Amino acid sequence: MDFILLVLNSFTLLLDPFNLTYVILGFVIGTVFAAIPGLTATLAMALLLPVTYALNVETALMASASIYMAGMTGGSITAITINIPGAPSSMMTALDGYPMQQQGKGARALGHAALGSMIGGAVGALLLIAVAPFVAEVSLLVKTTGKFSLLAFAIIVVVIAQRGHIAQAGLAACIGLMLATVGLDAMEPITRFTYGFSNLTAGIDLMPVIIGTFAIAEVLVQAVSSNDIRAATAAAGKVRISRREFLPPLSDIRKIGFGCYIKSCLIGYFVGTLPGAGGSMGSFLAYTEAVRTSSEPETFGKGNPKGIAASESANNAVCGGAMVPMLTFGIPGDPITAIMLGVLIINGIQPGPQLMTDQAALIAPMLATLLFSAAVLIPLTLYLLGPYFIRIVSVRKDVLYAVIALLAVVGSYVATYSTFQMFVALGMGILAFYLRRNGFPVITMLLGYILGPNLEEFLRRSLALSNGDPTTFFTNPDSLFFVLLTLVFIYFLVIRKPSRRAEAAPGL
Amino acid sequence: MLLNRPVVFLYVILAVSVGYFISALSLGAPISESGLTPSFFPILVGGAAIFFCSILIVQKLRAGPEAIQADAQRNYTHFWVVVAIFFYIVAFKPIGYFISSGVFVFALIVLVSSFEKLLQKAVISAVIVVIAYVMFQELFGVRLPTLWG
Repeated sequence: MDFILLVLNSFTLLLDPFNLTYVILGFVIGTVFAAIPGLTATLAMALLLPVTYALNVETALMASASIYMAGMTGGSITAITINIPGAPSSMMTALDGYPMQQQGKGARALGHAALGSMIGGAVGALLLIAVAPFVAEVSLLVKTTGKFSLLAFAIIVVVIAQRGHIAQAGLAACIGLMLATVGLDAMEPITRFTYGFSNLTAGIDLMPVIIGTFAIAEVLVQAVSSNDIRAATAAAGKVRISRREFLPPLSDIRKIGFGCYIKSCLIGYFVGTLPGAGGSMGSFLAYTEAVRTSSEPETFGKGNPKGIAASESANNAVCGGAMVPMLTFGIPGDPITAIMLGVLIINGIQPGPQLMTDQAALIAPMLATLLFSAAVLIPLTLYLLGPYFIRIVSVRKDVLYAVIALLAVVGSYVATYSTFQMFVALGMGILAFYLRRNGFPVITMLLGYILGPNLEEFLRRSLALSNGDPTTFFTNPDSLFFVLLTLVFIYFLVIRKPSRRAEAAPGL
Repeated sequence: MLLNRPVVFLYVILAVSVGYFISALSLGAPISESGLTPSFFPILVGGAAIFFCSILIVQKLRAGPEAIQADAQRNYTHFWVVVAIFFYIVAFKPIGYFISSGVFVFALIVLVSSFEKLLQKAVISAVIVVIAYVMFQELFGVRLPTLWG
């Protein structure tokens, strides 16, 4: 209850013009990046990471929260209007949004997407505010052995979630773990894998890893593929949207039903709590559930607003869900929460069970912003900027990527004023580029890199405490719980065949 | 077939993994009387990386050439972007932010678009560099290297 009151009090921080400016700026930047095919809100966050040095932690986290929420919403703009999802989480939105656009109901489809996003984002944020303190209290019960099993669970789930690409995901996780072992050992005064570079003694810094993985790699990816934005720019020129048509009619909302919104929100929220699942899986599951329970499943994929509502409610509810493991256990649910974790680490705050109790005052404004972004900024942005949204994609690609590259390279210099970090960022960019090009999930690598140090430390501590007895992982109840949970996930994600219903969704 | 591009990438990763594994072994015995040593975890990770890499290489070789994506139109722009970033970093401190960034941004714009309207692109580059300078130096208080100190 205290935490809920703290969150409510934090709304006063949004009245501060400085904070509000960053929140609104973050939301607009997140929307623009999510709307442009090829750019993502993750990239926006990566580019803005160096800026957090100049901001206080609360403001940086508030801006991050608004970028996150905007990122989940913005992708629907191009998904609906030109059938090119600006973000992967909006793929399902395109299935019904674009047919509505073709029927001359594009503005209404955007209205449905905004309403779904607003409900999903708000419900996700409210659930997070209500649930996170309890999860944090429970997480305090998890001891060293359990912490190792939990981190191992997170990495294993992220790997096996890549159905059909498990070996690639496993290798990507190993690369991340390798990067995590560079530098001084956590328990003994020994340096590892530095190969004579004194700059590596403290390990590979988080900032160049994030900037390289998301920003520089993106510039390289876009340098070799020039089609997306040209096609989008050409299509964008033909789309006309009127502000009056944004409001979804009550009859449509009734037809979609309150139950569909809430069910999709819950699906999105719980999917968000799983490491590595993200908005795409949330919207996919909510969409297939909407199709399954619909009395007219044949209308999906042909312009049914229920499809848009389910997809958008779920992907925005993911924001709240993904923050639960990030705030309580220090395990990021997706790339954006991984960068948020970076914001905390860069500012000397250690994420984990104590965070919600010891640093609640820092976290509460971020959660308040998440709710504010969903409930206020999503509809407001649509109304004020909606008619101009589609022109976002017309921005010049050459200028855009030159700006991104400049901000990325200079941004990686900011942390230590050393060109070495710039080279690290370039190296990470090249690595991430080739990983992506060859079908490796880079989020798995990032998760391995972020969780690696703790994974190793807890493994060694657990075995030291048990005098080298590995059965300690099965005899401690907290550890056993996560071991069993891992087995359950392996059963559902690896052994059991995917359901026919999921395969039967339109467009898949 | 043994040297198509995806497999070459895997060979590189395999070589790095083997190098990492050997370095991990050189850190000493993985287990001592006091418990796990600093080499235990890297040996485990290196071993897993070699295992996954070997699986992927075997899968690729078994798949045959028809399963490997044909890259009819090879585009090397990314390579030139990497070269541009590399030289930008090298020049960043010695010649300062303005000149290095100006040339870098201009080079990237030309690389991604075409060798036309160079004056317009040069003006755009200058504007971008100045805006970024104001953002970093004035707004966020970051000291950027300049020729005057």
